[in-house]
Amino acid sequence: MEVDLAFFAELLAHTLSFWWVIIPTIFLGLIVGAIPGFSAANTIIILLPLTLAMEVEIGLIFMIALYCASRMGAGIPAILVNIPGTAGAAATPLDGYPMTKQGRGQQALAMSFVASTLGGLLTTIIALAAMPMLAEVGYYMHAVEMIVVMLFGISLIATIAAKDTLKGLIAGFLGLMIGSIGSDVVYATPRGTMGFLELYDGIPLIPALVGLFAVSEAFIIIEKSSIITEEGRATMQKPGWGATLEGTFLALSKWWHITWTSLIGLIIGVIPGAGASIASFVAYQQSRAFSKTPELYGTGHPEGLIAPESANNGVTSGTLIPLLILGIPGGATAAIMLVVLQYHGVDFGPSLFFQQPELAYGVFMAMAVTYALMILTILPLSRYMSRVTLVRTVYMAPVIIAFTLVGSFVPREYLFDLYLGLAFGVIGYIARKTGYHVAAILIGVILGPLLETYFLRALKKSEGDLMTLFSSNLGNILWALLAASILLPIFIDRFRKPKPTDAAL
Amino acid sequence: MNETELDKNQPKRSVGGELVLPALGVLFTLYYFTTIIDSPWTAQVSAFFIGAVLLSLSLVFFIKTGLAIRRGTARLSFDTLFSRLDISSGRLALLVITLSYAILIEWGGFTISTFIFLFLAMTVLNKGNSKGFIAALSAVLSLGGYLLFIFTFETHFPRGPFETFMELVLSNGS
Repeated sequence: MEVDLAFFAELLAHTLSFWWVIIPTIFLGLIVGAIPGFSAANTIIILLPLTLAMEVEIGLIFMIALYCASRMGAGIPAILVNIPGTAGAAATPLDGYPMTKQGRGQQALAMSFVASTLGGLLTTIIALAAMPMLAEVGYYMHAVEMIVVMLFGISLIATIAAKDTLKGLIAGFLGLMIGSIGSDVVYATPRGTMGFLELYDGIPLIPALVGLFAVSEAFIIIEKSSIITEEGRATMQKPGWGATLEGTFLALSKWWHITWTSLIGLIIGVIPGAGASIASFVAYQQSRAFSKTPELYGTGHPEGLIAPESANNGVTSGTLIPLLILGIPGGATAAIMLVVLQYHGVDFGPSLFFQQPELAYGVFMAMAVTYALMILTILPLSRYMSRVTLVRTVYMAPVIIAFTLVGSFVPREYLFDLYLGLAFGVIGYIARKTGYHVAAILIGVILGPLLETYFLRALKKSEGDLMTLFSSNLGNILWALLAASILLPIFIDRFRKPKPTDAAL
Repeated sequence: MNETELDKNQPKRSVGGELVLPALGVLFTLYYFTTIIDSPWTAQVSAFFIGAVLLSLSLVFFIKTGLAIRRGTARLSFDTLFSRLDISSGRLALLVITLSYAILIEWGGFTISTFIFLFLAMTVLNKGNSKGFIAALSAVLSLGGYLLFIFTFETHFPRGPFETFMELVLSNGS
């Protein structure tokens, strides 16, 4: 079969004919993405009997649609109630939630949907065009290069610490220390587990996410009758589509920002083991570093919302590239897709593109169609979704606690995780009340163990020689980029500030 | 008026609460070090580095806070963390109810425990008003949760008498 424009046109028409699978799956994906503890991976596992019984093509479209929609769904509670549905949306509330508090929740949702869709669509098209080249990225990313990628994400702690450096760094390093709990990757020596067997595998992310963001937030919001300000409430109560259109046009006007931050997501997504959380932290940090208005980040700045949302959707297409070309899944959901498709007798690797091009290219076509249908179905809903913020906190807080705490139980089914979620809730509450940033703690908890794993791998391989960190060309380029992304904004900032003598004149 | 006098006229900042997280961090780091002291270097290298930085940062913070208290610009009180507002707003009661929920769910199962939790928490926060509405809302939410998570998704949520009963009913008692 010849792969040309006519082939792609036919594939598009064929994929569109499965709208009846895609649209209901989008709504399912939005729900599972929005609830902490649930994810596309968990849902595909739960629905495995159904997925295996479907025809291979329908099963594949179902999994892809669920994957894309759950990624977008995770951003909805992050924006509206400061609770990221998954770790991949952990950077979204940094600017999304302040927008909601100002009564701009509807606008923020519209921006997030547009950024997610454009980011996802764009990276899908790039993935289609440059698949073989992108697949090789994984080959060049070894432990040393991954250490630098992690440091890109961790340097966000320093950005968050900008307002109160000492407290920001204490929060970040406390997170890194908590993230060090569990067995070491080489000899499996248990460390800091306080005797709990449940912590031998390390700190599970969902209870940390639920506790630090959701539970602590619930205990804070009860101080006021509503989570939004009086002015914000007045704005929200004026019904209309204006805010949706405003958010849509605002996001579209930032098309270049969406483009480069989604590319960060695509490249990080291609690297096996990396994921949406790293991509969104890195994209947020880079977005702020090169912004003309970095001081607005964290106050409800549109670019601070667009960057993580387009990046984490860029990851979705990235994770499927090594799966299709090399048979190596780029993430948990891709790994489950691998199992399902292998059950149906699909062989991965370059031959897939010659033997079954409609299936290989169909994956990305399904993704593109899902994103296109998703924006059409979800954008009008932003007006109604944002009204959840008008619910009184006396009702909202208990619901948040009940459903997120139970959500922390779901991934491992340990009641211990419920208590852990509560413990993180107390830590998060203390942090919020005393001026420490919970996002800095969470970055440490998420990226700390990954950084340690790659660091140990690099040291083990080089027999303890620290100079190995500077032994590869690509690694050195990344080190230089890291240094530039940290130092350049400082220099630019100094350059922009008027000299005292000028002011005096 | 010199700078020190100006500082003394300012209201003193309450800093006790700000010391809690660094103090917890220090205690945890010291405990962590005791668990890896005899471990291979692979288990130690990263933790010693992170722990040393955290201890140093906390030490600097303690000294800075101590100096602020000595200068008279800060006071060692915990009212940012605990105050009468925690009792009047129902926050303390909510914490107790949440802890009881986490304990009860093991035996009561998801649906019954969630209903009791939602009813009690909303009633306390709403100062005992609209009990009928709260009861109905709690019932709808807990049953909705049962239908979505346990019945539809077959999630392994904590099971109790209600879930067992429903399982029997749905399988026609067989």
